[in-house]
Amino acid sequence: MDRSFQLKRFGQYGIFLAFALICLALALSTPRFFTLPNLLIIGTQVSINALLAFGVTFVIITGGIDLSLGSMVAVAGVTAAMFAHPDTYPLLVPLFAGLGAGVFFGAFNGFVITKSKVPPFIVTLGTMTIGRGLALILSKGRPISNLSDSFNFIGGGNVFGVPFPIIILIIAFIICSIILNKTVLGRYMYAVGGNEPAARASGISVTNVKMWVYTLCGLLSAVGGILLTSRITTGQPNAGAGFELDAIAAAIIGGTSTSGGTGTMTGTLIGALLIGVISNSLDLLNVTSYYQQVVMGIIIIGAVVLDSMGKKDR
Amino acid sequence: MTINPMKYILIAALCITMASCNQSQKSENGEKDSGKKLVVGATMLSMQNEFIVNVSDEMEAKAKELGVELITVDAERSALKQVEQVESFIAQGVDAIIMNPCEVEASSPAVKLAMDANIPIINVNSETSAKPTAFVGSDDTESARIAMKYLAEKLGGKGNVLIMHGFMGQAAQIKRDNGAKEILKANPGMKLLAEQTGEWDRAKAMSLMENWIQSYGSKINAVFAHNDEMGMGAVKALEAAGLKDKVIVVSVDAIPDALQSVKIGALNATIFQNAQEQGGKAIETAVKAAKKGAFEKQVLIPFQLVTKKNVEQFLK
Amino acid sequence: MIESILKVSNLSKSFSGVKALDNVHFELKRGEVHALMGENGAGKSTFMKILIGLLAPDSGEISFEGTDLRNSNVSDTLKRGISMIHQEILIIPELTVAQNIFLGREKELSGRKDWTSGWLNDTAIDKKAAVLLEEMGVNIDRKAKMKHLSVAQMQMVEIAKAISNDAKVIIMDEPTSAISDKEVDTLFKIIKDLRAKGVSIIYISHKMDEIFEISDTITVLRDGQYIATKSAVELDKPSLIAMMVGREIDHMFPESNSAKGDLALSINGLCRKGQFSDINFEVHAGEILGFAGLMGAGRTEIARVIFGLDKLDGGEIRIKNKSVINKTPREAIENGIGYVSEDRKGLGFIPGMSVKDNTTLASMNRHRKGIFIDQTSERISTEQMIDDLRIKTADMDQKVTYLSGGNQQKVVIGKVLLAAPEIIILDEPTRGVDVGAKFEIYKLIRNLADKGIAIIMISSELSEILGMSDRILVLSKGKQTAILSRAEATQELIMKYAVA
Repeated sequence: MDRSFQLKRFGQYGIFLAFALICLALALSTPRFFTLPNLLIIGTQVSINALLAFGVTFVIITGGIDLSLGSMVAVAGVTAAMFAHPDTYPLLVPLFAGLGAGVFFGAFNGFVITKSKVPPFIVTLGTMTIGRGLALILSKGRPISNLSDSFNFIGGGNVFGVPFPIIILIIAFIICSIILNKTVLGRYMYAVGGNEPAARASGISVTNVKMWVYTLCGLLSAVGGILLTSRITTGQPNAGAGFELDAIAAAIIGGTSTSGGTGTMTGTLIGALLIGVISNSLDLLNVTSYYQQVVMGIIIIGAVVLDSMGKKDR
Repeated sequence: MTINPMKYILIAALCITMASCNQSQKSENGEKDSGKKLVVGATMLSMQNEFIVNVSDEMEAKAKELGVELITVDAERSALKQVEQVESFIAQGVDAIIMNPCEVEASSPAVKLAMDANIPIINVNSETSAKPTAFVGSDDTESARIAMKYLAEKLGGKGNVLIMHGFMGQAAQIKRDNGAKEILKANPGMKLLAEQTGEWDRAKAMSLMENWIQSYGSKINAVFAHNDEMGMGAVKALEAAGLKDKVIVVSVDAIPDALQSVKIGALNATIFQNAQEQGGKAIETAVKAAKKGAFEKQVLIPFQLVTKKNVEQFLK
Repeated sequence: MIESILKVSNLSKSFSGVKALDNVHFELKRGEVHALMGENGAGKSTFMKILIGLLAPDSGEISFEGTDLRNSNVSDTLKRGISMIHQEILIIPELTVAQNIFLGREKELSGRKDWTSGWLNDTAIDKKAAVLLEEMGVNIDRKAKMKHLSVAQMQMVEIAKAISNDAKVIIMDEPTSAISDKEVDTLFKIIKDLRAKGVSIIYISHKMDEIFEISDTITVLRDGQYIATKSAVELDKPSLIAMMVGREIDHMFPESNSAKGDLALSINGLCRKGQFSDINFEVHAGEILGFAGLMGAGRTEIARVIFGLDKLDGGEIRIKNKSVINKTPREAIENGIGYVSEDRKGLGFIPGMSVKDNTTLASMNRHRKGIFIDQTSERISTEQMIDDLRIKTADMDQKVTYLSGGNQQKVVIGKVLLAAPEIIILDEPTRGVDVGAKFEIYKLIRNLADKGIAIIMISSELSEILGMSDRILVLSKGKQTAILSRAEATQELIMKYAVA
């Protein structure tokens, strides 16, 4: 019993510890790792995955899942790019178009899930394909390039030497943490994920909570999509394929339980950073991506094992 | 690879129904049209790839010009799907098949099936291990040779090179790698600093380049990317790091974005692979073969190096 | 002198410094029904877990038929003949009764010794199951899938499984908590048969009447300490309760002194297809209306419809003479109704959330500033509920899962109260709650009525219904058969209407 108690504590803080240890090992193995420019690059590279991971953390906390993240990235990115050519519309137009597309798409997920009672896994599997198709239709299968400088600043610019994506990441992190910890909606998310019938019996509108959660997830995916589009200066219809898996992995590594009811934004951020740090450093060490995938898989399983050990109590 | 038997049964059933539907359609058409209009089935690697879409568009235009009915399907990068699509073309009784193969080995059964059914099959853009009726395309090895020779020339045969690979194991990646390594061997002054896959993807290539810059910094003299998407990503990362002036970047495909970039002097060079000619020649060859006329077994469309000097002629 | 089969002495076990068991003694004789009594948290579960090998003791001795059991695991104890019928029944719903009984022993029954023993022999399994169920005298189709059985039937299957394992000791943890009176009779018959065959039973229950009916010997634990072992005939109810709670409880049920106030809720012709029909009653402010009836009579179903958990098919709900329709619990709460469910784990609380978060969950509208949670007012409200309801918890950030059943129930009641309802429906408020806490909950319910809240109390315990209610509505098979006043109601009369 005492042993499992310790493991539980480790399960809670294990991710932080693991992250710190990995960073330490990397700093020792290559002097290029722990330098300011490299850290800023990691931050930039992590930003998109982290944004999606924040969104999916909300969803997973309510006991759901969203597989359509990657497709929402593409839809929002392509939509934004369509309005972002130089000398056409002011910057706000592509931004709102892209965000709007994400919000609409996310709300559609929420609507189908709450109305049909079909499991989110299946609904979002369907909308994943729908989204990919929509992105291809909107872009006619070709990347949309020639975007305005102001639009390209979002993903490529710096403010006082800090890449703009990192600033967006930090702002999103703060807002998402506040939503989760300080608002009634956040409390209701934990309640719905922890015990849906009991939440309903407590007078919580489960439908509303789920609508919010999937819409937020769509919004954050759209922010990620706009960042990506701006970063590579084209709206790519096939962008973001497979992003959902990295985002879900980040949430799970960060201690969000797939059975719902638990999870924190800090954990998810660390999870995303961990994934980013590993792929960055394996590039620095010139390790082929084959090994990167193996390492990533081991970390995901390790995180979940830790998580379930933490729960084995009583 | 394990395939569940139900799937086979399903495919067979689908083929039979499709075949019977088409036969009835054909007889109707035959009465109106004196039955002379040729039908060509085309299965393309992926309609999400800009280059392939260009090839396909040109095939469409050429087919219209020659009065041929063209049925185009998307294999979505799945060789299994491609084989199934060829099976259904055979069942429909098309006059010729054009295949843009997904994989060297896995798409080969489709070639054998068509040959057994006595339907001419033309591979376009890339190859299969089984020999088709004819091949229309360009030699990927050659594109890499051109690119690396360009780098060798620019660097005066001396310098540090990075190579961004396509998806490991695909025909284009293997051939472009072979071509590049050939030239590297011939120029002992050129050193391969590192190589890694960017999975044909712009965002991935950008991250990879950023990380390389952290590793090698000013040691980098040149980058060869297996396609323009990755080349563009590398250019973006180099520009952000203020290193673009010191590093030569060359990639393959000559997509519009890359041509624009060459024009403004960001990307140093790209290798033009002629989609129009590949598409047009594929249809021409297919029609000749279907009519049992004479045709070339291998139509190789040459690559062209595109630099700032000659970029205008490629921009439409 | 009958020989003893199991002897436990000086058994101690502590969890992170807290003593769960402290020098416990226990002696089980062959062929006796031995009741293990104690409030929740007295150490019964820990004791059982040690007996079946789920936990290892810190110190002490366990000897079973002369062998030392201290270091054995679950499969060891099972092989030696100790089986436990769990409170939450462990079954595979998609398998048949026969397959469940012999689950894990398919190889023994395959009739083969070589590698082919992995080949299922369902015929043999079926035949053995048939013989077994026949011997037990229970009428369950051995080919039915488990998911189609009632809770009582599942329990019988569990017992059959234990018997098929040649169990010498069967531990039953709250076996009657979810089954009807008739089914209890069947269960007791089987227990008596087992006793006659020399099987020993360790019986855990909170229901006093049952204990005195079925057990030969009673051992009482309190706060992890061994209190006493007595023969059942030596004891009576009050003395047993006194042993359990450590003090005398003279008045189990508080006096009714609340005056009947205005009409709070009236129900006219309420019906829901397949569950109940033509239900008519009124509840006044300050009144406790008891709902009596057998399992499946439609009591919970009526509560669910009033609270908006299920749709109503006909009839009218009037609150303070105003017709309302509660499509969701949310609307019901807004209309002033509170519901404490019988299904505490399923509908009552969120296990992973803290005491505070659970307590304020239904009243977030009072604990918010715009979209943000008002943490200060939340803490004040929770503090007050912990005081008022005497919730025993380390602090308000403790997760509810770690509280005892009675305290969990109090958290749920607190949650309902904070939403400031005028009508509260309490469905089996004392199920799975120990005696001491039961008494507190009774006092609490009466206090609420005194404050002018209208209360509907659903209960399967007749003594509770009789002791608490001002009036009693009796249901039978979805029909309302009587409304009795406190004065006229007796156990016999209620039963008469309940089976009508």
